[in-house]
Amino acid sequence: MRKLRAFLLRFWGLSGDKRQDEEFAEELQSHLQMHIDDNIRGGMTPDQARREAILKLGGIEQTVQRQRDQRAFSFFESLCRDLRFAYRNIHKSPGFTTVAVLTLALGIGANTAIFTLLNAILLRPLPVQNPEELLLFGDGYAAGSTESVPDGNWKLFSYSFFHDFRQKDTSFSGIAAVDSTQFETKASISGGAYQTTHVNLVSGSYFSVFGVPAFLGRTIGESDDSTEGAGTVAVASYSWFQRHFNGDPSAMGKVIRIQSHDYTLVGVAKPGFSGVTVGQSTDLWIPLSMEKAFSRAGWNGLGNKLFQSLYLIGRLRPGVTAAQASAETNLLFKQIVRSYLGPQPSQKHLDDLARASIQLTPGGRGVSLLRYALWLPLQILMAIVALVLLIACANIANMLLARGVVRRREIAVRMALGASRRRIVFQLLTESTLLAFLGAAAGVALAWKASGLLLNMATPGPDPVPLNLAPDLRVLGFTIAVTVLTSLLFGILPAFRSAGFEFTPALKDGRGSSSASTRGALARSLIIGQVALSVLLLVVASLLLRSLIHLYDVDTGFDKHNVLIFSLDSSTANLPHGPDEIRSVRLQEQIEGRVQAIPGVRSDGFAFFAFNDGAWSDRVLFQGVPRSPANGESVSFNISGNGFFSAMGIPLIEGRTFSSEDRGTAKVAVINQTMARRFFPNSSPIGYRFAIGETPDHPGEIEVIGVVKDSKYYTLDEGPVMEAYFPCTQNPGFFGNFVVRYAPGANQQEISSRIRHAIAEINSNILVNSVTTLEEQVDRSIARQALIAQLSAFFGILAVFLACMGIYGLLSYSVARRTNELGIRLALGAQSHALLWLILRECIFLLVLGFAIGIPVALSSTHILKSLLYQLSPLDPTAIAIAIAAVACITVGAAWLPARRASKINPMQALRTE
Amino acid sequence: MGESDVWQGTLALMILKTLQSMGPLHGYGIARRIEQISQDQLIIQYGTIYPALLKLEQEGYISSDWGESENKRRARFYRLTRAGRRQLERECQRWEKAAAVLARFVSTGEEAV
Repeated sequence: MRKLRAFLLRFWGLSGDKRQDEEFAEELQSHLQMHIDDNIRGGMTPDQARREAILKLGGIEQTVQRQRDQRAFSFFESLCRDLRFAYRNIHKSPGFTTVAVLTLALGIGANTAIFTLLNAILLRPLPVQNPEELLLFGDGYAAGSTESVPDGNWKLFSYSFFHDFRQKDTSFSGIAAVDSTQFETKASISGGAYQTTHVNLVSGSYFSVFGVPAFLGRTIGESDDSTEGAGTVAVASYSWFQRHFNGDPSAMGKVIRIQSHDYTLVGVAKPGFSGVTVGQSTDLWIPLSMEKAFSRAGWNGLGNKLFQSLYLIGRLRPGVTAAQASAETNLLFKQIVRSYLGPQPSQKHLDDLARASIQLTPGGRGVSLLRYALWLPLQILMAIVALVLLIACANIANMLLARGVVRRREIAVRMALGASRRRIVFQLLTESTLLAFLGAAAGVALAWKASGLLLNMATPGPDPVPLNLAPDLRVLGFTIAVTVLTSLLFGILPAFRSAGFEFTPALKDGRGSSSASTRGALARSLIIGQVALSVLLLVVASLLLRSLIHLYDVDTGFDKHNVLIFSLDSSTANLPHGPDEIRSVRLQEQIEGRVQAIPGVRSDGFAFFAFNDGAWSDRVLFQGVPRSPANGESVSFNISGNGFFSAMGIPLIEGRTFSSEDRGTAKVAVINQTMARRFFPNSSPIGYRFAIGETPDHPGEIEVIGVVKDSKYYTLDEGPVMEAYFPCTQNPGFFGNFVVRYAPGANQQEISSRIRHAIAEINSNILVNSVTTLEEQVDRSIARQALIAQLSAFFGILAVFLACMGIYGLLSYSVARRTNELGIRLALGAQSHALLWLILRECIFLLVLGFAIGIPVALSSTHILKSLLYQLSPLDPTAIAIAIAAVACITVGAAWLPARRASKINPMQALRTE
Repeated sequence: MGESDVWQGTLALMILKTLQSMGPLHGYGIARRIEQISQDQLIIQYGTIYPALLKLEQEGYISSDWGESENKRRARFYRLTRAGRRQLERECQRWEKAAAVLARFVSTGEEAV
C-alpha cells in the first residue's frame, strides 16, 4: 500500500519539477549554511568551514541527481530533459543539422520507398480470412491457357479438373478457381455508355473459400456456377461500386451489358478486396459458367477437359498439414488427368504425365506476375539503399566525432560536476536519435511520393498499376526500426568516444595528441569502409548500365521508328462469331484500305500480336521432315493482315508475303528464318507443307509461301524463336492490334487523329483503347531493366559523393591540424607541390585500402545479378574498370581542394598558429 | 565502513528512530545525529540522507514543512507521522529478532561441531 502510494507520487513527480528543483536547492543551501556555521563555531576559518561542509555533503550534482531519481521515474524525466537539451543543441549548429537531416532523409527515405514496394508486391497478405491457411496449386507464374498434357510443375488447371478434384479430395475445406486472364472489356450499365471494365471469371466457391463477405446484396454462390451459360450475375468491387453508383444501394438489380450478354448486379464485395492477383484490380466478378461469353477464338474452357486456364487456391481443412495435402493432391492429379487421356493414351502422354506434379505454395499472398518480374530487382535495390544508408551513417558519425572534439570542454565540465559517464552517453545518444527521427520524418514523406513514382517507372503503360502504396503497419515498423538502428550506428561511437575522455588534459588546453590520433584512426577506418562500399555499388551500377546499353543496341529485326500501334476494341460492335466471322476480316480490310489512303501513311496491317503482347504457340510437324531436337520445340504463331510485314518493317527474304490470292481454303503461312533453318538447314522451305500439333489431324494442310527475317517477338533478350504467320483471311476474327507505318517527318498527331476518324467512319462501334508507337512498346518492354540500372547508378554516384564528403572533411581537418608542421616544412625549403603530394598521399592510401576491401567483395557478390544482365558476364572487366576509375577520380578530386590549400600555406602565418 | 546496500534499508530505520527521539528535525540535524549515535563508525556523506528522506515522505512515514532553524535560518523540518511511528515499531522488532537469530549462529558455531 505504501509502495503504491510512493509509486503514484513518483508518477505525479514527472510534471513540474522546476519548483521542486528550486526548493531542494534551497534546502541544500540551508544545509550547507548550517554546517558551515557549526564548523566556524568549532574553530575553523570560513574557508575551511566551507570546504569541509561541501566535502561532507558529497557530490552536489550526484545528490541532486539522486533526489531527482527518487522524485520521479528517473528514466522518463531524464529522457525529457535530454530531449530538450538535444533540441537546443541542434538549434545551435544549423549547418551540421541541415546536412545530417538531409542525408538521413535521403537514406531512410530511399529505404522506406523500396520497402513499401517490396511490402506491397512480395510480403503483404490478401485482405481475406486466415490467409495462412490458403494454398495455391503451382507457383502462379503463368497466365493464359494451354492444352498440353501436364508434364512438369503444373500451374494452370481446367474446369473439369477443378470439378472432379473437388469431388474426391479430403484435405481442403474448399477450393476456389479463377481464370488466369483478367478480361479488359467494355461494359454498359443500364444502357449507358460503354466503359472499360476489368472482369474476373470465378467459381461459385470463390467468395466462400476466401471468406470475403458481401457489403451489399450477395456474393457469387455455387448455384450461379452450376449450369453453363446460366450464371448471368455479377458482383462488383467496392471501389467500382463507389465510382459508378456513389454508394447508392439502388444499384442492386441493375443490368450490365458486356459483349452482347446481360448480367444482373447482385452484390458488392466488402471494401478493400479487389481480387487475388496482386497488381490487378477487379471491377466485376462473374461466374465461370459464363466463360463462353468471354471467349476468344479457340477458347473452350468448360467443355474441353484439357483446356487449362484456371488458378486453383484451396483452404486447408483444420488438422491437415500442407505435406499431407500435397501428397493427396499429386495422387489425385495423376488419377484424374489419366482418366482424361482416354482409353488408349499414347506413350508420350503417359511419360509426360509421369513427370507431372503440383507444387502447393502458400496462397495467402495471392498470385502475381508482377512479383515474378520484380522480386529480384526489388531485393537488389533494397540491398543497394541499405548500403547507401550505411555510408551516410559513417559520414554522420565522422561529423559527430569532429563535433565531439569541439564539445570536449563542455562534457569534461559536466563530468567534473558529477555526471556519470552513462548519463553523458545517454544524452549524446538522445541527440543522435532526435536527428535520426527528424531525418526519418522527412524521409517518410519523400518515400510516399517516391514509391508511387518508382512503380510507374517500373511498369509503364497507359494505365497505372493498381497497388495500394499507403504506409501500413509493417512499413512504419520497418521505418522505425531502421531509424533506431541508424541512430545507434552513427551515434554510439562518437558518444562513447566523447564520454571516455580523461578530462584533465582537456580542461587544461584543447589538444591532447593521443586522443586526436585515435580519433583520426577511427575516422580513417570509416572512410576506408565508405570507399569499399562505394566501389561495390559503382561496380553493380556499371554492370547494370552496360547490360542496359546492350539491350538498347539489340537488333529488333523490325524497324521500330515511325510506327503507330492502335489498340482496338470490337466488343461493342456486335461482330458475329461462327460461320459469319469472315465479316470481321472484311471490316479489317476496309479499315486497312481506308487508312492506307491517308497521305503520309506508308503501310498498315492488323495483327494478333505486335510486340511484347503475348504468345500463342504449339509444336508443328512438316511433311517429309523428321523430328529432331532442333525443330521439336514449340513454334510461336501470329495472325496478320497483308500489310503487316511492311508496316513493321520486317524484310522478306524468300518467296512472298500474303496477298489477295490467299483467300481460299488452301492454307498458307509465312515463316521466319530460324524456323526455316531448323526444319530445312540445307534447302528452301518454300512449297513444303506442315500442320499444327504434335500429331496433327490434317497433316500438310498449310503451305509455306515465304520466309521473313527474324525479329524479336516478346522481349528484347529472348533467344532464337521459331515463328509462323498466318493470314487473317484464313483465320477470321477481329484482332486488336492495328499497326500503321508513316513517312518519316510526318506529323504523328495529325495522322493519328485522321486514322481515328477513318476507323470511326467505317464502324463507329470500334473503339480505340490506346495509341502508342512501336518505339514506346520496345522501350516499355525493358522498363524494368532501365529502372534498376538508373537507380543503381543514382545511388552509386550518391555513395561516392558521400564518401567524398568524408574524405574532404578528414583531409581539411588534417591540414588544419598540421598547419604548424606544414609551415615549418615550407620554411625549411620544401616545395609547395611536395606538400600537395604529402596530403594527397593520405587520400591515396585510404583509397588503396578501400579498394583492397571493396574489389574482392564486389567480385564475389556480382553473380547475384546474373539473371538481370543481358549478354554480360558478372565479372565483365570493362565495367569493373570503369567503376574503379570513377571512384578513384572522384575521390582524388575531392582530396584536391584541401591538398591545394596545404600547398598554398603562408609559412609565416602557419608558424604563428598553434 | 563505507556505503553498501545493507545501509540503504537501515538508513530509513535510523532516520525514523532519530525523529522519534529528537522530535522534528531538519536534514542536516538528522545526518549529524546519525553520525553521532553511530559513534563515528558510520562515515556517510550527508547528501545520501535526502533521497532517503524523500522516499520516506513518499511512503507517508514522515511529513515535512518549512520552518526556522536554531540559528535563524530557513530550513525544511521533518517529523514522524502516526504511520511512521507504527512502521518504526515493526522495523525495530524485526531487527531485534533477526539480530537474536544471527547471534545464536555466530556464538554457537564452534560448539555445534
